[in-house]
Amino acid sequence: MTRSSFIKKSPKTSRNWSLNKTVHICSSMGPSGSGKKTLIMALLRQIFGISAEKVKVENRTWKIDAGSRTIDLELTTLSSTNHVELSPSDAGFQDRYIVQEIIKEMAKNRPIDTKGRKGYKVLVLNEVDKLSREAQHSLRRTMEKYSASCRLILCCNSSSKVTEAIRSRCLNVRINAPKEDQIVKVLEFIGKKEGLQLPPGFAARVADKSNRSLRRAILSFETCRVQQYPFSSNQAIPPMDWEEYVSEICSDMMREQSPKRLFQVRGKLYELLINCIPPEIILKLLSELLKKLDEELKHEVCHWAAYYEHRMRMGQKAIFHLEAFVAKFMSVYKAFLIETFG
Amino acid sequence: MDMEMDIPLPDELELLEADSHLFQDSLDPPSPDPYTCSPQLELEQSPPQSPSEDAVLFDEKRSKIYDNAGPEVDDEDWLRPVQDRNSGNDEEIVEVVVVEEEEEEEKIVSRYVSEIDGDFIPVTAPSGGDRVYAKICRVDTEQGAKKLDFKSQSNGLISEPINVLLQKMEQEAFTKALQASSEDQSDEILPETQVMHEKLWVDKYAPNSFTELLSDEQTNREVLLWFKQWDSCVFGSDIRSTSDDILSALRRHSSITQHPKPSDSTFFSKNKGHAWSRGNFRHSNNLEQENSKPKGFQDKWTKKSRLTGPPEQKILLLCGPPGLGKTTLAHVAAKHCGYRVVEINASDDRSSSTIETKILDVVQMNSVMADSRPKCLVIDEIDGALNDGKGVVEVLLKMVSSERKSDTGKENVTKGEQSGRVSSKKGQKTASLARPVICICNDIYAPALRPLRQVAKVHLFVQPTVSRVVSRLKYICNKEGIKTSSIALSALADYTECDIRSCLNTLQFLNKKRQVLNVLEISSQVVGRKDMSRSVFDIWKEIFQKRKMKQDRKSKGSCGSLRNEFDSLLSLVSNRGDYDVIFDGIYDNILQLHYHDPVMQKTVKCFNSLGVSDVIHQYIMRSQQMPLYAYQPCIALSVHRQVAQIQKPNIEWPRSYQRYRTVLMEKMDKLRSWQNKIPPHISRHLSTKSFVEDSVSPILHIISPPTLRPVAVHLLTEREKNDLAQLVSTMVSYSMTYKNIKPDPLACKQENEAALDASSLSVDPPIHEFINFKGYSSGHYALPLAVKQVLVHEVEKQKILQASRSVHLTHGHDKQNMYLAERESAMQSTQINHPAAFSGKSISNEKSMINSGQCVPSGSATSPIMDSSRRDLSNAKLKPSVNQKKPTRSSTSFFDRFRKANSKGSQSTDSAGWKTTTLERDSRPLIFKFNEPGCATSTFLVEPCLEAIQQCRFHITIDLIGAQIDVYIVVQVTAVLVILIPGNNIHELWGIWIVTSMMSCHYLRCLMLENLLLKNQNPGFCVLLEFENGF
Repeated sequence: MTRSSFIKKSPKTSRNWSLNKTVHICSSMGPSGSGKKTLIMALLRQIFGISAEKVKVENRTWKIDAGSRTIDLELTTLSSTNHVELSPSDAGFQDRYIVQEIIKEMAKNRPIDTKGRKGYKVLVLNEVDKLSREAQHSLRRTMEKYSASCRLILCCNSSSKVTEAIRSRCLNVRINAPKEDQIVKVLEFIGKKEGLQLPPGFAARVADKSNRSLRRAILSFETCRVQQYPFSSNQAIPPMDWEEYVSEICSDMMREQSPKRLFQVRGKLYELLINCIPPEIILKLLSELLKKLDEELKHEVCHWAAYYEHRMRMGQKAIFHLEAFVAKFMSVYKAFLIETFG
Repeated sequence: MDMEMDIPLPDELELLEADSHLFQDSLDPPSPDPYTCSPQLELEQSPPQSPSEDAVLFDEKRSKIYDNAGPEVDDEDWLRPVQDRNSGNDEEIVEVVVVEEEEEEEKIVSRYVSEIDGDFIPVTAPSGGDRVYAKICRVDTEQGAKKLDFKSQSNGLISEPINVLLQKMEQEAFTKALQASSEDQSDEILPETQVMHEKLWVDKYAPNSFTELLSDEQTNREVLLWFKQWDSCVFGSDIRSTSDDILSALRRHSSITQHPKPSDSTFFSKNKGHAWSRGNFRHSNNLEQENSKPKGFQDKWTKKSRLTGPPEQKILLLCGPPGLGKTTLAHVAAKHCGYRVVEINASDDRSSSTIETKILDVVQMNSVMADSRPKCLVIDEIDGALNDGKGVVEVLLKMVSSERKSDTGKENVTKGEQSGRVSSKKGQKTASLARPVICICNDIYAPALRPLRQVAKVHLFVQPTVSRVVSRLKYICNKEGIKTSSIALSALADYTECDIRSCLNTLQFLNKKRQVLNVLEISSQVVGRKDMSRSVFDIWKEIFQKRKMKQDRKSKGSCGSLRNEFDSLLSLVSNRGDYDVIFDGIYDNILQLHYHDPVMQKTVKCFNSLGVSDVIHQYIMRSQQMPLYAYQPCIALSVHRQVAQIQKPNIEWPRSYQRYRTVLMEKMDKLRSWQNKIPPHISRHLSTKSFVEDSVSPILHIISPPTLRPVAVHLLTEREKNDLAQLVSTMVSYSMTYKNIKPDPLACKQENEAALDASSLSVDPPIHEFINFKGYSSGHYALPLAVKQVLVHEVEKQKILQASRSVHLTHGHDKQNMYLAERESAMQSTQINHPAAFSGKSISNEKSMINSGQCVPSGSATSPIMDSSRRDLSNAKLKPSVNQKKPTRSSTSFFDRFRKANSKGSQSTDSAGWKTTTLERDSRPLIFKFNEPGCATSTFLVEPCLEAIQQCRFHITIDLIGAQIDVYIVVQVTAVLVILIPGNNIHELWGIWIVTSMMSCHYLRCLMLENLLLKNQNPGFCVLLEFENGF
């Protein structure tokens, strides 16, 4: 149930440009849960047929000569006969070597299809925006040089971190997050397939809560289904736990503004970060939840949230900036309170 | 020669006469003594006759005569010009003359040898033949004073005769060149001698006795106490009683800071033995009178110390910033306690191989030299170079640990102690510390010292108070005759942070330059500033703590002090480097400070600064622009400006970020490994990021549906069964299951069950931890244990299907060709009833399989021969996901085949065994009983490792008729045996695959069928696994 319906919407789009096989390299970008991977899969299936779905996971260690030393890199690839999927940013700061050596190696070898014609293979690179600058630079030559035998599909969340040089070599496809009515349609479709009866407005509520992420929408839909099947129209949609936690933090911040409270908030922020919640989202959510504030403050808080997020992306230790934002908010809020209530 | 001889003038001679009239008087009664005519006489007398042969030698003699023998005036006539010439031309000779003249003064002249009891020199006057004996004596006080004078101003002694001569020479209008050169000569002598005789003040005024030490009283006394604890071990037991008293006294004193004993230092420093112990006695008596401590305490203490022998910690580690007197303390205290100090410092070779013998020498041997005091090892600058220090530390630790071991090995403490003492005295032990060892370092947190810190007694040196330093400095200045103000001195001490060495060096330097210490411009004056790098804790303290400014209010106002503070802090931070740690520390500790911040402005500013530093750091890292690091200290300063308080901050080492990093890595690893377990067609859609963001909570909800009743499977309604099947398929496809975990406090999600059951089941990839925030209770429904068990069972069942598929894939695919060939050959060659039939059957099946291809399902999914155990699975199989269908089917076809084979081959198989299914799964080792007809029952204990259980696959090796058979068994509802016998070269596949239900079977019994292998060495044999409950 979770997966099957995912594929639903993509064929429409992919059909359009799978016809256009001359497009060598596509870079697709969009927020998570908007169906980038699904789109790519659909595209691959369009090109290679059903065989593109037979994938196997390979975990291989590569030995790379880098000047005087050899580097051992472990890389997990997902491959079918015609395409290889990998996320080079897993290698961290050594991603350059993956791009320079492994991808080049893969790109060089040209597959020969059954009829003896020279085919081409497709490399899907995930999370290109997390690639280091060096890696991106070394990628751009590879892209051009081996384009006859290899097509690249780059997948990223935001194109702003992909260098201009690469972007100009790609067909950039922006995949928008699905609109709420689209989500509703999908949910209704799923309901029909699964034989569920949806009370009116229920799908809309799920979609509303989903933050325009289709994955989340479907998952929470399934959750509702599991928790209570004959849906009641006012059934509670279980929230994300970490979001609950963030709102807890927010109420903490509203209740008291002092260094001591800031210290408590720090502990909670760490809890979130430890559990692999990306700091950017935390900040965003914080600022969003704080929008419940007075109108006057909204603007300012948003401004500061943006400011600190900018800094956070430039910096390294996210907690510094998160906490700086919290402190700033506390300061602003307290000043506001004093001003209003004396 | 002759020409020069003419030069002398009569008036000069007169002068000389007058000069030496004293000697003349003593020589007055000329009485030639014939009987003591030493052989030297001839030598002595020869110079006047042949003066020009050897200038140096003869000049000596001549000058002696010239000064000494007053009456030989005519001799002077020719002697003097020679000297003139010498003084004019040859510097060396003049020097010699000067020396000789000095010696000359020491002689007492006598006519009789008998009057002289020391060394003497006979002198004979060439003209009259008078002989006198000159005594050489060095007792004149006047002489001594002159000698001292000579040392400080080198030309003091020669001034008279030579100056006079020079004056004469000027009068005689000697050549100008002569004059100039003689002046040069006197100039050149001056600096030479001065350098030779001036010491560094630091050494000159180094404290010699214990009372003169500048360092903290308490530290001093504790060091002394430590030394005293060695007494019984080092000096033997005869003086123990007194030393105990001393110990107790010291004990008491170290708490009450009083001035130490007034007079006993001389006793102590002499030697061990009676004087030493007497000193102790006296001292202790004094203390006894002073102190009215109860005797019980003392007795207890004595007893204790008697038992302990050498102190608990055999190594003393002194640490503190340079110039506070650590080395001095070590030396003085050791001397004080009657030790001879052997120092090893960084200038020595300190690799562990060479140092070991050295330390052993010091620590275990007694010297046979005159100085028989026991030695005390002082290892200076132990933290110096990392490698060096490490070597030393290793050796020391080895010694200490060996000592420890031997100590603990002994049964009786006292006896052990005694024997230990005896052996250590004799130095029999190979490596143990029998002498006190003091290590000195600057940075106690140096990594090389980490192990040493744990075994050593650590003393941290603190700065002495400024007043103490100043008083000492003043004393020295007075001694040296420098005029200083105490304000200037205290400023100096402040500036150098009470580093007395640097103070003294500075003072001496200024003194040399004839400068006066200037209060206001200490920093601008050339004062040696240490290139300090302080510990990171100090830096944090500096940042968080406002310095108390005393004198800034006086003259300069706050502005100057501000600048001063700024400078010092800036240099402090930038000297330390390591900004990452510094800022982490600031970040971690800043919120613990108590600064006044009503609207949190300061906090915001501080965090802004921290953010900026982080951004800079990141930028530097990325662009490798190291010069930008110069801006980091300023950020620390701005923080300091915001939050610095007077109170002492309570600083902790920043751990939070590191902890965060490690935990995050751990969790990421968990996620990754989980993601790798999920089949690729699903996991490719999941990134770890989106997983925690979007998926965890719903998945947790989904896998714990509250609608599922905790009842047996067959009692569920159709719809519930449907739900269950769906749930199981979800769990399988996300490779989740429940696992027995020990109830640990962190993951104790379901306390109610955990309380009852020791083993609670929790989700296997521990994804529930990802929502386990501190202080947050998630509203997730926890499944009852029974349901979980059902789920585990079902999931295992599902997995078995996939596992059998994988077995089929690996073994079937890889070995298919060989297998087939083997089967066919078996069919052709041997025509035996059962196996042949069986193999034929299997081959046909196999062939159909191969023909139908890998993925095309062969046969119907619902086999008619499916037995009851399969029925359980039917639920799950009804709704497998799309991708699972194929394997399920293919495996089903396998099962069919096996069933057929079994029913054919085995007569004794009772189907009852197959039906036994319970919901429990047990992970105990299975005992395979392999019953061969005609052979004894052989039992194999299979140790299923954890993984094997998860994979539901056991691998046993059965040694059957000499050939090794590898058996791969997939145990669960079905068991598949793949029997491989390594043949001569190739692995022959003796494949019998048996499908059976093994749920709840504790013991397996493998029966061989009669008409198998033993009778006809035929590959096509059948193995039956028979299961019995409670076997």
